[in-house]
Amino acid sequence: MLKPAIVRQLENIVGKDAVLTAKEDLATYSYDGTTTWSHSPEVVVLPTTTEQISKILKLANENRIPVTPRGSGTNISGGSVPVKGGIVVCTTRMNRVLNVNKANLTATVEPGVVLQDFNILLAKENLFYPPDPQSFLSCTIGGTVAENSGGPLCIKYGVTKQYVLGLEVVLPDGYVMTIGGSTVKNRTGYDLVPLFTGSEGTLGIITKITLRLIPKPAARRTIMAVFDDMTRAGAVVSEILAAGIVPAKIEFVDNFVIRRIEEKMRIGLPVDAKTMLLIDADGSVAAVESEAEQILELLAKGGATIARPAKDEAEATMYWKARSAGFAAIYGAARTVVAEDVTVPRDRLSEFIVKLDEISKKSGFEIVLIGHAGDGNIHPSVFTNSREKEDLDRLQDTLTAIFEAALELGGTLSGEHGIGLEKKRLLSKALDPMAISFMKRIKSVFDPNDIMNPDKIWERS
Amino acid sequence: MNASLMEISKFERDTEQCMKCGFCSYVCPVYQEERIESGVARGKNELVKRLLSGELQMNRNLADRLYKCTSCMACTESCPAKAPIPRIIVAAKADIARNMGMRFPYGLAYRHLLPNRNLLGKFLRAGSYFQSSFMPKSNGIIRHLPSFMSGLSRGRQIPSIASKFLRQQAPEINKPRNGASPVMRIGYFTGCMNEFVLPHLGMKTIDFLVRHNVEVVMPRDQGCCGAAVFLGAGDFETGRRIADSNLLAFSGVDYIVTDCATCACTLREYQRFLPNTPERKEAYTDFASRVVHVSQFIADVLGLQASAFQTPAALKGKKLTWHDPCHLNRHLGAKEQPRRLLKSLADTKYIEMPSADRCCGMGGQFNLLNYELSQKIGEKKIESIEATDADIVVTACPGCQFQLLDGIVRQKKPQKVMSLMEVLG
Repeated sequence: MLKPAIVRQLENIVGKDAVLTAKEDLATYSYDGTTTWSHSPEVVVLPTTTEQISKILKLANENRIPVTPRGSGTNISGGSVPVKGGIVVCTTRMNRVLNVNKANLTATVEPGVVLQDFNILLAKENLFYPPDPQSFLSCTIGGTVAENSGGPLCIKYGVTKQYVLGLEVVLPDGYVMTIGGSTVKNRTGYDLVPLFTGSEGTLGIITKITLRLIPKPAARRTIMAVFDDMTRAGAVVSEILAAGIVPAKIEFVDNFVIRRIEEKMRIGLPVDAKTMLLIDADGSVAAVESEAEQILELLAKGGATIARPAKDEAEATMYWKARSAGFAAIYGAARTVVAEDVTVPRDRLSEFIVKLDEISKKSGFEIVLIGHAGDGNIHPSVFTNSREKEDLDRLQDTLTAIFEAALELGGTLSGEHGIGLEKKRLLSKALDPMAISFMKRIKSVFDPNDIMNPDKIWERS
Repeated sequence: MNASLMEISKFERDTEQCMKCGFCSYVCPVYQEERIESGVARGKNELVKRLLSGELQMNRNLADRLYKCTSCMACTESCPAKAPIPRIIVAAKADIARNMGMRFPYGLAYRHLLPNRNLLGKFLRAGSYFQSSFMPKSNGIIRHLPSFMSGLSRGRQIPSIASKFLRQQAPEINKPRNGASPVMRIGYFTGCMNEFVLPHLGMKTIDFLVRHNVEVVMPRDQGCCGAAVFLGAGDFETGRRIADSNLLAFSGVDYIVTDCATCACTLREYQRFLPNTPERKEAYTDFASRVVHVSQFIADVLGLQASAFQTPAALKGKKLTWHDPCHLNRHLGAKEQPRRLLKSLADTKYIEMPSADRCCGMGGQFNLLNYELSQKIGEKKIESIEATDADIVVTACPGCQFQLLDGIVRQKKPQKVMSLMEVLG
């Protein structure tokens, strides 16, 4: 239990209405977007300034109180679940866009800015910030930096770390450190910016972010293709890339997901299709035309039963809306859903799909696929309605089997969701032990008292 | 099943639809102001789930958080699983009311006055005398409702009580003129606004329908729709009494038509929340299938074309914009009908406002318990209205109309607020 004196000090820092201690409020900060992890904090604070965060961390550090940073809590790794109780520092009220610099193609934002609000603001200026986690309607930019998020667009445009130029971070002792800057080139000593990007809130709290922007592509074309063979769809993705074409997005949705989305949204998706690919070409008008033509040709040659461009912007938007609802649609399908985030090299995708089918048959768990085929991050999701311990243990074994299959093909444990709690038991299988040892040492340099988001990423021995 | 959670338990499957993606946060008017998790559907759903599992108990803290919802249903619309959290909250209110007693401002007066239209009329009549003698008139039609009537207006600008109620002006049976045989027979549900505050609008609606060869019956035994009673305060028992009596009053008509989006929605919701016997389930469901909002009735059932509408002289050359009442737009699904009607008005210009479907912040009981928050949400709506440069904001819900009027007057904006039937002529 947190001492009442600590709560009073927090109230002095942020004001009474920004400190939540009622059991009912704490319950609503116990979860993130996963179905497996839940733990209430002892107090939630909603700061509005860097200075407040500095004071909060100093207080927490002096009293050795665990601190879990949180944005909108939409991550799917357990990363923002306060498993050790303590303080949740929620950044949702730090949501100002501080500047958009059109001439330097940068923007500086506070961590609580919701990604979609930022996108809308940029679109008015004809600017574009590509990282597009499918939680864009709710996730905060601070969260996407802490998780180094990616999405469909990263096949062509890369992930968050490729856009973060500078950060202001509050260290566990309260020191406010500025790293990086607002230049695209920056070669001054060790680059600490990518260390914080993807650090999952374990090193400090990000309070200001300078992002690189690009001009908005002039044109976009969405192509929908249907296959009655999943591995064929996987092979076509490799064929498109081998032909020297890098579309903006190549997304893969299997039959289960198509049916589930259609059931909820009623938008006329091909419910009999084994697999649907959604492909976006973007760029100048001429480039998009020719790229779309080549893609359609490759799809037809590759065995697509349907391959056609969306007839207008409305149809394209509808497909992408369905795609972004896809995950949520799976999550609603069962009590326990684990969305795997393994990623394989793009040319091994169809082999991986065959392996997943074998694992599903052997384990008896349904495994559905929805994800970013273009970068090999296909998100096999495993779920069960059972609450029996035996079944849940078997589920974990199945996840291990999926991960091992991906590793055998030269893949990785997590493409974009991060490790958090969900995958930490597998970390030692995915990394060189020396790499883990260095990570632990880095953590202890920044956070000697282990107050920042403790018990995440690797297992404490 | 825990008997004290009887109503929420019926929605247990719905509570499991939420997968915590948080898409609701982007559209929730309450969350957008406070940015606290218990304000948004995802958080409220978690509270209900923990109540069902026994991890949380029913208490004032829990009730306060669940009640902080305008029922705008934007969360459900945005939700990939279409989880109907605002409906779960209505069920929760019923269990809270049964176990913890009714909340302020729901007292005996409401329980007994609202179901009885004649009694309420007398009460309001007394109130209106009080209003004119003791309250300063702010301008023409706007002043404060006397405090004894509600004790709740807290400075809100609201229109005054009419000197002659609708039932004192309109006959019970209104047949098409010149002996024309009616194309159908409908029951007109007046709603408290047109009955007591703006009876001339009720007269206009009746007249409009009669002119289009509809026989309009205005049953004298109709009462309040019950929105404040069972949707707002969770008093399902009184709600059932109201429902039964309205069903009886409206037997034998083809449709039940109303000007008020909230009334239309509430009449349709009897079947969702109130049935406690198979007979009631069947009767309420049949009743719901015949309830339409007047915009749906005119656009879809009568299928009137542009030529049927005459632009009132005062509206000629004016710019109109439309505010979607949540009850009409998301609850009843009538998004396009009112727009079609407005666009067909000659010599006017229709301008769509940004975020026309965003809740105005009124939400019935919500605004009584969270007045400042309600005002803040309302301010965003006034900004939207301003962006259109329109002369007139049209809507179809007295609650919205109160809220828009209140915001416009407080912020000294030039726009007029009118109800849909007022402009259709």
